[in-house]
Amino acid sequence: MSSPRSQQASDCFDDLLDCIIADVASECHRIARLGLDRNLEEEEEELRRSVQARVADQSSGGEANGKNVVDIFGQTHPAIASEIFECMNCGRPIVAGRFAPHLEKCMGKGRKARAKATRSSTIARNRHSRGSPVSVYAPYSSATSTHRVPNGTVGGVGEEYADHAFEEP
Amino acid sequence: MRASINRPPTPDAEEDPPQKELSLREIINIKLIESGEKEKLMELLRERLIECGWRDEMKALCRAYARKKGRKNVTVDDLVQVITPEGRASVPDSVKAELLQRIRSFLVSSSL
Repeated sequence: MSSPRSQQASDCFDDLLDCIIADVASECHRIARLGLDRNLEEEEEELRRSVQARVADQSSGGEANGKNVVDIFGQTHPAIASEIFECMNCGRPIVAGRFAPHLEKCMGKGRKARAKATRSSTIARNRHSRGSPVSVYAPYSSATSTHRVPNGTVGGVGEEYADHAFEEP
Repeated sequence: MRASINRPPTPDAEEDPPQKELSLREIINIKLIESGEKEKLMELLRERLIECGWRDEMKALCRAYARKKGRKNVTVDDLVQVITPEGRASVPDSVKAELLQRIRSFLVSSSL
């Protein structure tokens, strides 16, 4: 093996290594300056510990806490969602956090709601009675009737719908 | 003879040998880059140095230095100076041998 060639090869290697060293230095410099590395400063570390403690609480049991948790963007959310929007069933303005109970009443799980609802949906059902399933309803959750009103029903049947299982002819 | 006919001797006669070494090195570098071999060698070296933990050691050195000096007072040059001696010394022999072998065969195959 000729000595000049070994020397050249060694020089090449050193050159490559210097490039890689520069890359590592540059990356570490960036991490240091941007504060991306956790343990670089004591104060920052304590700050991060407190934030992390909250985040850890959230991830392990945060649903139970609900309040004072921090999401990945550092935002906190109130326990009850307060945005107001329009119910797509009755058109009333509803607070988002109260939407589920409202929807129960609005779409009907109790007798009163169902009686009220069947009146309005019967009309809708009559329009669709010849061919398509009713699209106004969500399926009921009561024990007696869990299926949609089948095709071909005529109005008026719906009023008894609530009380007994519906039989197909 | 008129003075203007005689051309004065080229002034940099003594500087030729150093220039030749430099330009050979440059020729090698150019050939490495043009053939794409330099990039392959870099990738190979990078990969080996990551595998053997060398990169993590260097990053640890940087972190320690940054912690000592203060995160915002660090410069790239500082870090290069911090890592270079240890970096050059701690490359595993097998990695160095592998790279040298590849470089040598490149030099041979390019008749350099």
